[in-house]
Amino acid sequence: MTAAPDAVAREVAARLEAAAPLNAVLHWSAGGIEAEARRVAAMPSAGPLHAVPLAVKDNIATLDAPTTCASRILEGYRSPFEATALRRLRAAGAMLVAKTNLDEFAMGSSTEHSAFGRVHHPLDPARVPGGSSGGSAALVAAGVVPAALGSETGGSVRQPAAFCGVVGVKPSYGRVSRYGLVAFGSSLDCISVFGRTVGDAARVLATMSGHDPLDATTLAEPPLAVPETPTSLAGMTVGLPTEYFPADLDPGVRAGVDRVAAALRELGATVTEVSLPHSRYAVPTYYIVAPAEASANLARYDGVRYGPPRPEHEADLRALYRATRGRGFGPEVRRRILVGTYVLSAGYYEAYYGTAQRMRARIAGDFRAAFERVDLLLTPTAPTTAFRAGEKTEDPVAMYLADVFVCPASLAGLPALSLPAGRSEGLPVGAQLIAPAGQDTRMLAVAAALEERVVAAGEVR
Amino acid sequence: MTWETVIGLEVHVQLATASKMFCGCAAVFGEEPNTNVCPVCLGLPGALPVPNAEAVRLGTVAALALECTVHPASVFARKNYFYPDLPKGYQISQYDRPLATGGRLAVESPDRGPITVGITRLHLEEDAGKSLHDRFPGLTAVDLNRAGVPLAEIVSEPDLRSPAEARAYLGAIKQLLVFAGVSDCSMEKGHLRVDANVSVRRAGEAAFGTKTEVKNVNSFANVERALEAERDRQIAVLEGGGRVEQVSLLFNAASGEVRPMRAKEESHDYRYFPDPDLPPLVLEPGWVAAQRDALPELPDAKRARLMAEHGLSGYDAQVVTAEPALADYYEAVVTAGAEPKLAANWVMSEVLADQNAAGALRVAPARLAALIGLVQEGTVSLQAAKKIFAEVAVSDGDPAETARRLGLVQVRDAGALERWVDEVLAAHPEEVARYRAGETKLLGFLVGQVMKRSQGQADPKGVQPVLRRKLG
Amino acid sequence: MTISRDEVLHIARLAEIAVDEAELATLVSQLNRIVDYVAQLEAAPDEGQGDDFLPGPARVALRDDRVRSEPLAHPPAALAPAWRDGYFVVPRLSAMEDA
Ligand SMILES: [Mg+2]
Ligand SMILES: [Zn+2]
Repeated sequence: MTAAPDAVAREVAARLEAAAPLNAVLHWSAGGIEAEARRVAAMPSAGPLHAVPLAVKDNIATLDAPTTCASRILEGYRSPFEATALRRLRAAGAMLVAKTNLDEFAMGSSTEHSAFGRVHHPLDPARVPGGSSGGSAALVAAGVVPAALGSETGGSVRQPAAFCGVVGVKPSYGRVSRYGLVAFGSSLDCISVFGRTVGDAARVLATMSGHDPLDATTLAEPPLAVPETPTSLAGMTVGLPTEYFPADLDPGVRAGVDRVAAALRELGATVTEVSLPHSRYAVPTYYIVAPAEASANLARYDGVRYGPPRPEHEADLRALYRATRGRGFGPEVRRRILVGTYVLSAGYYEAYYGTAQRMRARIAGDFRAAFERVDLLLTPTAPTTAFRAGEKTEDPVAMYLADVFVCPASLAGLPALSLPAGRSEGLPVGAQLIAPAGQDTRMLAVAAALEERVVAAGEVR
Repeated sequence: MTWETVIGLEVHVQLATASKMFCGCAAVFGEEPNTNVCPVCLGLPGALPVPNAEAVRLGTVAALALECTVHPASVFARKNYFYPDLPKGYQISQYDRPLATGGRLAVESPDRGPITVGITRLHLEEDAGKSLHDRFPGLTAVDLNRAGVPLAEIVSEPDLRSPAEARAYLGAIKQLLVFAGVSDCSMEKGHLRVDANVSVRRAGEAAFGTKTEVKNVNSFANVERALEAERDRQIAVLEGGGRVEQVSLLFNAASGEVRPMRAKEESHDYRYFPDPDLPPLVLEPGWVAAQRDALPELPDAKRARLMAEHGLSGYDAQVVTAEPALADYYEAVVTAGAEPKLAANWVMSEVLADQNAAGALRVAPARLAALIGLVQEGTVSLQAAKKIFAEVAVSDGDPAETARRLGLVQVRDAGALERWVDEVLAAHPEEVARYRAGETKLLGFLVGQVMKRSQGQADPKGVQPVLRRKLG
Repeated sequence: MTISRDEVLHIARLAEIAVDEAELATLVSQLNRIVDYVAQLEAAPDEGQGDDFLPGPARVALRDDRVRSEPLAHPPAALAPAWRDGYFVVPRLSAMEDA
């Protein structure tokens, strides 16, 4: 990427134009990109991300472009403040070029649940790019931008990274500020990053990470470092959790992950089997915890302080609430709010939410125990390659199971990433690395070492 | 049939911080609507709460003053309900793990004398904004300036047995919190708000009756009136063979009646759960101990000390410790050399009256001490001293100097006294005759006449012997 | 069926979400599908009461009590769906006037 901001602006605008059929972008304008280029050109010194064009998921608050979360309820909403992570990236010279499409409020695994139409997979328009950060994933995969911000609650960056064949990194919970990330499941939400390469993703992650006095869940730690790429992984032990390799795992996916395991051995690492027995409960645990938190987080969309204009006199206040929320939220968001309301309601709290909180502790405990034996875990990112649009929209639970391998690290707050691991029948396969909390940089270093050997692997099956 | 009333109170006090509970907006009163707001207290998408250290400290101080156990870890929770002045659709409060539990407060009950009222819990929470239902016809107007202001909610045990006792409890808790520097407890500004739970039972019964909740009453006097009205209503229902429904009620101060709040469409189910935006609130035991050590002298201790050190009566001690500023003032007057009992008399009369009229303690403690000294040594009369006090309140002049300037120094010169006495005896021959005929109580009248003739300057103690001698 | 039609209507009221009669049957069946699925947790082997788990800091960091409002790039009036004389306005609902 050339470092002249105005040239970058022109190139990116042209590529965004060309990528329009993907429906990956909700808001962009040539004028907006030019303004960003002028801002960056006027910076007194070139920052570490000088003139890097960045696409940003539309659930991250931006000052100039709308922030809609792909929801009718926020149509036209312009945030009067900017997310901390984005502020840091722009201060480092990055240019915000587009707000990307997503499953409404980041609830989904295919980017089909957007109020503004589904995102198409860059390699096969009949397929989904994964989700919920499908727009950002597709733009990086299509070569429009070298890196993009997404958000994870239960795998919403890693899973689309796997489907689209790009790098997707979720940091340790608490290492990147959530201030300005529209909340879905606050104890799970992480601003996360897509990169064409591990290095691109790592530089963006390092720049936006670090303690934020505006987010009480950030850790009092310095920003993450950009990793050096090691030439050998001798002395490192990587665990393969048996529960993540079920008998019915897609053979192409299995072959891709095997390829990564082989590369690890080639680099001198020891690969061994481990067990994470409670991970099988991760999806049901997640689908209690996340909707419960969401039911409260989405209560603020009541049509009182912001939202589309409306007549002053509606029938009554409750009618206003119910119409605003009933019409403004799409079906999947409504389902999750209702499930979350149900599991927190009188008489059910203990059976659902209480049980899920304890299971969450056990899932995290499994990881802690495993990391006493191994340095890193290797699993498939998703059980299949990108599926066809419409394939899972009728059965919400079938859609949820697309996140079966990515949910556990989210529940445990661990850093995890998806690395392209070749293709199966023309579609990308992703391999997931999971590291102990705080070991983000080490995980990225391993990914960088593997990158050369596996990304260009081509067909693995 | 005799009935016993059982009352428990929930008091919300605004903590005296500069900024709001979870954002940096000013915690002030009386700004233009919706000007004192930010992404956090507007509940904008993506905004997050960060707790105010001073609110935590003041809540802890309040808990310690109430002799609560302050917990090493407490948890903020979301209380979910929809209301137009609740920006996030939930209030950040504390639920099953509050800041503090298990305290007590000494109260002087008008019915039972000294009692101890249990404090169930004290927790921290944020205030909602204000809904104005009469600002525009058919609309509710919402002002979010108050949204997010820090509150401590203090819940008492159902230990109160009459509306008057409830009022006494409120007076005691307000005084305690003001002395502890936790809150100004101004009811006019809404910095202290009261919800009262009340039930009645037949005397001697152990089980509680069904309780109702009287919400948001705007003065201590009205709390008492509202509770009386609700107690009477419940007794009437029960004596009529009916059953008390568990409802929330509002008090109409104009009519003196309570009426049930219009039924909510949906019964409340607040769906509390720990706020995932806020890790646990952990307080180091050493820090809590330091807050305990730093507690100012609280009203009870201060009263006991004033009674022991200065020989004040319980009543006098009560009056001079009504407010921290008054108590400090009293002690400063004594420190400046005034006799403690005389100082208390002055504080309870002239000083309080002047404070009520002028809104400030205008006479410096050293000036009042000097004035009390002038009375004690006979330089000025008590009557004159009150005039001097009023003058000093305005001029801040030296009391002795002021006495001279106003001609209020008592005349003890024998020649002058005799002259006034002679003039009075000459002017009242009839009274003189009656006195000499044995009507000795007329001496007082004659002293008064001398004082009048001297325009108050004569020393009454000097006048009497002269009169007796001349009449004798 | 774990959640009845009436329960769905009840939670929809709690969540202040209008549900059309036409979509109710589908919604009831979808919610049951989801709740039945997550209910498998209750059948997980009981390993006794464990601790809860939350990622991130073990204790909350507090903010100094300084007045420093995060700025708004545009004022509340610019956000408000309905605004009059400095106030957000909503239809008056008598049943809610009392709190
Ligand atoms: Mg409360
Ligand atoms: Zn604020």
